[in-house]
Amino acid sequence: MRIRTLTALAFAACITGGVSLRAVGDDQSFAKIERGRYLAVAGDCSACHTVPGGKPFAGGAALETPFGALVGPNITPDVATGIGAWSEADFLRAMSEGIGKNGTRLYPAMPYPAYTKVTRDDASAIWAYLRTLEPVGNAVQSNQLLFPFNARRPATATWDLINFKPGVFEPDPAKSETWNRGAYLVEGLGHCGTCHTPKNITGGDRGDMVLQGALLQNWYAPDVTTDLRTGIGSWAVEEIVRYLKTGANSFDIASGPMAEAVENSTSHMTDADLLAIATYLKDSPPRNGPAVAALAGNDRRMVAGQAIYEDRCAACHVSSGAGAPTLFPRLAKAPLIQSDDPTSLIRVVLIGSRAGATAAAPTAPAMPAFGWNLNDAEVADVLTYIRNAWGNAAAPIQPASVATLRDRLQR
Amino acid sequence: MTLVFSTTSAGALVVKGSLPWTPNAGDPPTAVLPGPWVYFIPEEGAAIEALVDRLIPPDPQTPGGKDAGCAVFIDRQLAGSYGSAEGLYMRGPFANGTPQQGDQSPLTPAVRYRQALAALDKYCRATFAGKSFAQLPDDQKDKVISGLEEGSATLDGADGKMFFAQLLTNTREGFFADPVYGGNRDMVAWKMIGFPGARYDYRDWVDRHNERYPLPPVGFAGRPGWVRQGP
Repeated sequence: MRIRTLTALAFAACITGGVSLRAVGDDQSFAKIERGRYLAVAGDCSACHTVPGGKPFAGGAALETPFGALVGPNITPDVATGIGAWSEADFLRAMSEGIGKNGTRLYPAMPYPAYTKVTRDDASAIWAYLRTLEPVGNAVQSNQLLFPFNARRPATATWDLINFKPGVFEPDPAKSETWNRGAYLVEGLGHCGTCHTPKNITGGDRGDMVLQGALLQNWYAPDVTTDLRTGIGSWAVEEIVRYLKTGANSFDIASGPMAEAVENSTSHMTDADLLAIATYLKDSPPRNGPAVAALAGNDRRMVAGQAIYEDRCAACHVSSGAGAPTLFPRLAKAPLIQSDDPTSLIRVVLIGSRAGATAAAPTAPAMPAFGWNLNDAEVADVLTYIRNAWGNAAAPIQPASVATLRDRLQR
Repeated sequence: MTLVFSTTSAGALVVKGSLPWTPNAGDPPTAVLPGPWVYFIPEEGAAIEALVDRLIPPDPQTPGGKDAGCAVFIDRQLAGSYGSAEGLYMRGPFANGTPQQGDQSPLTPAVRYRQALAALDKYCRATFAGKSFAQLPDDQKDKVISGLEEGSATLDGADGKMFFAQLLTNTREGFFADPVYGGNRDMVAWKMIGFPGARYDYRDWVDRHNERYPLPPVGFAGRPGWVRQGP
C-alpha cells in the first residue's frame, strides 16, 4: 500500500514536472503569471473587483459616481458569473478598447481610457494571471446607474467619441527610461488620473487639467502636479517614493481611497517602479493655479479658528502645524491643506478618518471625529485658520460648505 | 483529563490586523439643558439651592453654588444613572461595613435625597416655627448644616450625617465638573482656581517656567473664543 502511494506520488511529480517544462513561453509560464500578478497589483484591479475581505476579484465593490453606482464585476474564471467564457482576445479588447465580450461597451469606470496605454504583452500577462484564479460563483449587477445613464450602448459610444483616445503608450525618446516607465505607469496601468484628474460634464478626463485634483465619493483627490502650494512641487523624489511605499512621508499620511490604493497597490510595487512614478510626476508641469494671499491673522475667522485649533487640534498636530512624522500629518505648508477644494478637510474633521496601514508603517493612526463637537461655523473657521497659518494660503471655508457635506455624509 | 472551557461571554474581543475604526466614532456626553427640575419637586429644588449656596457661598469674584448650577447638576445626576445606582450591586445582604468599604446603603442616591430632604423640611419646620430650610436666615442655615455634619441635628427617617457627606461631595462635583453636566456655569470654578479645562497636553509649556499659562479654560462644548468676535 505504502509503495503504491509513493509510486503514485512519483508519477504525479513526473507529470507536473513535464507540464512546467512544456509551459515556458505559454500562458502557463510561472514568470508570465507572476508578472501578470504584479501588474494586476500595480493596476489596483482589486480596488473595484474585490470587496474588502471578500474573495479576490469576485467583484462587488461599488464605485459611486455622479451618475449612479457602478459595481466592479466578477473577473474570476467562473464561466457563469465571471469571465471564464472569455477568450484572451476578448480581454485584450476590453483593456484597450473598452469593449467586452459580444461587443458590449463597458462603462469608463473600468479605466480603459488609461488601460488602452498598457502594452499587449502586459495585458496578456494579466490575463494569464487572472486565468489562474479560483473561479468564484458570484453574480454581480454591475450597472446600477440612474436613468438615463443606465442605457449603456448609445451613452458610452458617444462618450468614447468625446473622451477616449485608444492607443498603446508611446515612449518619449527624449526622456530617460525611468521617466518613460513612470509615464507608462501613471498614465496607463496606474490610472492615477481616474481620481486625480478633473472631469468634464460627461465624466471624462479634462485633458487640460491632468492630475490637477478632483472630487470623488466625497473625497478630494488632491493636485499631484508640481505646483508648489497645492501640489507635490516641494516633495523630493524620495518623499514621493516613501509616500507610495509606506503611505506616509514627512508631509502627509494617506487616508481614504488613497490609503486603499497604497495598501492594495503602490506599497507592493518595486522601488524601481515607484522611483519611475516619482521621477515622472516631478517632471510634470505645475498647475499654475491662481496666486492666493493668506488671510490676515486678525481676521475674525482666523482668531476664532486659532482658538479652536489650540483647544482641539494642537494636541496632535502641534501648535506650529508641524505634526509628528508618520503619525500626525503635517499641516504647515502641506499641499492637501491648501487644496482649492476643501472636501477632504471638512470630511475628516466632521467624521474622522483612518490612515492606511502598510508593512513599513503599520500603525494606521486615526483622526477622531469632531462633527459632534464643532458646529458648521466652527469647522469652517478652524479649517480657514489651518489653511492660512504657518505660511499656508488658501480660500476661506464657508459654513454652508460644511453644512452641505455634513448632510451628504449622513445620508 | 477533562478540560472545562467557560463559554460565559466576556466583554473582550480578538483584534486581528489593524485596530477597528468607524467614522463618527465617539461617545460624547449629552449636554444638560437648563429648564425645570427633572427629578426634584419644587420644594426639594428650593432646599437644594439654599443648601449648595451655603456650602459654596457667593463672593464678589465668584458666584455661589446656586448660581454656578450645582443644584441643576445634582437634579440631573439624580434623574440619571447616578441617581438610580445603575452599575452598582444593589442586592442584599446589606450590613454596616467599615468606612473603608464605602457606602453600603440599600437605598439609591435618588431615594436618599428624597427621604433626607423631606426629613430636613420636617426638622426645620419643627425647630424654626414652621419655616422651611430655604426660608431661614444664613446663620441659622449654617447651624442646621453644621448640625447635620456633626450628627447633632437628628432627622426623622434619614441619616443626616450621611446626607451631609453626600451633598457636600455632589456639590463639589457640580461646581468643578465640566459645564456640560449643568454645573460650573461659564467655567466659573475653573477660572477661580486657574484650571485651563480639558486640554490634551502642554508640550509647548513644559520648559517655560514661572510664566502664566495664557489660554483660558475650555470645556467639552468649547469656549467663548470659538465664536467669531466683532463685526
